[in-house]
Amino acid sequence: MSEQQALLVESAESIFESVGEATFAEAWTAVEDAGFGILLVDEASGGFGGDWADFYAVMREAGKRALPLPLGEMVLGTWCAHRAGLEAPPGMASIAVEVNGEVRDGHFSGVLQRVPWGRRVNAVVAVASGRAWVLPTHGARIEARTNPAGEPRDDLHFGKAAATPAAVDVDLWLCAALMRVGQMSGAADSALAMSVEHANSRKQFGRVLAKFQAVQQNLAVLAAEAAAVNSAGQAAALARDRDPAGDGAELEIAAAKLRANMAVGTVTSTAHQVHGAIGFTEEYPLHRLTRRLMGWRSEYGNDRYWAERLGVRVARLGGAGLWREITRRSDLA
Amino acid sequence: MSVFAIHRFATSTDAQALRAEVRAFLDENLPEANPARRTNCWAVLDPDFSRRLGEAGFIGMLWPKRYGGHERDPLERYVVLEELLAAGAPVGSHWIADRQTGPVLLRYGTEAQRRKYLPGMARGELYACIGLSEPGAGSDLANIRSTATRVEGGWRLKGQKVWTTNAHDAAVMLTLLRTEHGSERRHGLSQFLVDLDLPGVEVRPIVDLVGHHEFNEVFIDDAEIPEGALVGVEGEGWTQATAELALERSGPERYLSSHVLLASLIDAAGPEPDAVLAGVIGRLAAELWTLRQMSMSVAAKLASGEDPMVEAAVVKDLGNSYEQALPIAIQAALGSEAQLADGSALAGMLAMLLQSSPSFSLRGGTREIMRGIIARGLRLR
Ligand SMILES: Cc1cc2nc3c(=O)[nH]c(=O)nc-3n(C[C@H](O)[C@H](O)[C@H](O)COP(=O)(O)OP(=O)(O)OC[C@H]3O[C@@H](n4cnc5c(N)ncnc54)[C@H](O)[C@@H]3O)c2cc1C
Repeated sequence: MSEQQALLVESAESIFESVGEATFAEAWTAVEDAGFGILLVDEASGGFGGDWADFYAVMREAGKRALPLPLGEMVLGTWCAHRAGLEAPPGMASIAVEVNGEVRDGHFSGVLQRVPWGRRVNAVVAVASGRAWVLPTHGARIEARTNPAGEPRDDLHFGKAAATPAAVDVDLWLCAALMRVGQMSGAADSALAMSVEHANSRKQFGRVLAKFQAVQQNLAVLAAEAAAVNSAGQAAALARDRDPAGDGAELEIAAAKLRANMAVGTVTSTAHQVHGAIGFTEEYPLHRLTRRLMGWRSEYGNDRYWAERLGVRVARLGGAGLWREITRRSDLA
Repeated sequence: MSVFAIHRFATSTDAQALRAEVRAFLDENLPEANPARRTNCWAVLDPDFSRRLGEAGFIGMLWPKRYGGHERDPLERYVVLEELLAAGAPVGSHWIADRQTGPVLLRYGTEAQRRKYLPGMARGELYACIGLSEPGAGSDLANIRSTATRVEGGWRLKGQKVWTTNAHDAAVMLTLLRTEHGSERRHGLSQFLVDLDLPGVEVRPIVDLVGHHEFNEVFIDDAEIPEGALVGVEGEGWTQATAELALERSGPERYLSSHVLLASLIDAAGPEPDAVLAGVIGRLAAELWTLRQMSMSVAAKLASGEDPMVEAAVVKDLGNSYEQALPIAIQAALGSEAQLADGSALAGMLAMLLQSSPSFSLRGGTREIMRGIIARGLRLR
């Protein structure tokens, strides 16, 4: 970890920790004041100049605390607008990668689907067919939806909203998948930490749960899964930074999001198993992590989506080609 | 909380060039083989291949030149190993000598021991085996009962080792014996080099469930070995053997030993597989890619001089599970029963791995033992 990244993680930790009980608006102000929005914008343009490894590290910290804010979406939206040469969206912003409708004669009519925190943000950066545009949300009709964690994933309906699209060459879906891997990795590590702590304090049969071999073995499996998610995520972020194949690290991010998705079942069920009934209550904070993991698993590509996309790509490489491709990419990275 | 410290993998020289070298070697030297013999390939013996590999400088890569080694860096060696495994090369003859016996001698052995064994090992001609397990000492290795007793000019050995892979092909066994009479558990154990042609040492085959002869029983009945056969410090055998296990468990063979099966599936599926097969291939590729990142990280940690015991246990456990799930997933996704017996390369490899993969989470320490190590990393025990 670079020194810059260590400082970044440290400040993310302390700010995310401090907003634990705050309202959405208060939390947002704290995070915005810290300047996370411009994380990926280069320094010459007044940004922080962070790379994808930095972004991944911050997303992990957010995931560890189940941060109830569209922080990663804001970072990606700001970056994307900047890349497109558009004015940075004012205030809180989210992203839309599923767009039903089009921009014609300077106006967007249609639906931005499943916009994270759509009802709370001021603007949305939408990307479709190689173009990006920014839409203020005040003109939208909001159809409220949520993911299993209760996080807003709203459909925003627009009728003839003024929009100035600009060409942009980013695969925002891929970047958003990497964002979720970071959050999932952080959440899995926290679920592990909570489970270990619980196993060390709760007593049954006159001993702490941690002394039962069955519990130890289950927690070891949970730890291995969490380690796999983070290993995959970090490697994918690094690959995105180096981009050895010039495709935005599509293969690495695909593999990482899929591996993260595959870990969710074991991570959530094991964490709950170790906790017993207390973990099934609203009051106990485990569900803030596990329900998010369940929701994030479907977002920006569920298992089937990435398995087929990756599988089709790998099939074209051929049997020997798969090995050649993954080694070539990591050697060059 | 995490039990897995991520270390950055970077070779000191151009990894692509080294890979090209290994691939060119394989193009020349990989023998035509029954496809099933490409799976689990680090258990497949081929002295001729090992000799040629040694000639090419791909054995003993880290060892000093004066012992026949090549003084390369550990991550270069890692690159060579993964290339050999991914190609399903028959590396079984020399694998143990190169991976652990040689390094143990460099760390603990005497000059005479190094001179006696290392050059032949590096040439790919002198092979070694691991004499740890006994009938009463499997997972519970500290329950070793075989003994070495001091006699005039050396030691007299008595006891029995079991599951000794390649003892029938190896010149020497690095073994752990009880040297302190009446000692218990981890105390009073010492490591020895036992030449397998000594009088009083008898190797008997054990045929495995596939019908192969890979492991053996080694009976030792009053065999006498010279003073100079003790490795390291008398009574320190447990600590030394534990260091050996770190080498045994941390390599790419713990996830890559049946990669040829996945490659064969991809070839059989063709460039435009249906959605079901594409999905299976995608999932397996994601696991493979992730395990490779983890395995490289373990190699990098080991290369930096740190002990990756817990991380290696994580990779071994996940890798064994992946390699066991691989044939199961492929069998489940194939079109028909006929495909399992159609004489194709895929069918041959699949049938072999369905049978042999249960052993992956036994050899080198069982799944439960690995998870116990991870649990210790979590400070649960
Ligand atoms: C293909 C193959 C090659 C091998 N090659 C070698 C070799 O070259 N040299 C060598 O020395 N050995 C070798 N072995 C032996 C191997 O190391 C042992 O099989 C292994 O350590 C397990 O010992 P065991 O077979 O006696 O099983 P046991 O120890 O009897 O275990 C049986 C089951 O009980 C479980 N168990 C045991 N103790 C515990 C515990 N405390 N907690 C929870 N579960 C437990 C185990 O995990 C396992 O599932 C080889 C084994 C195989 C399969």
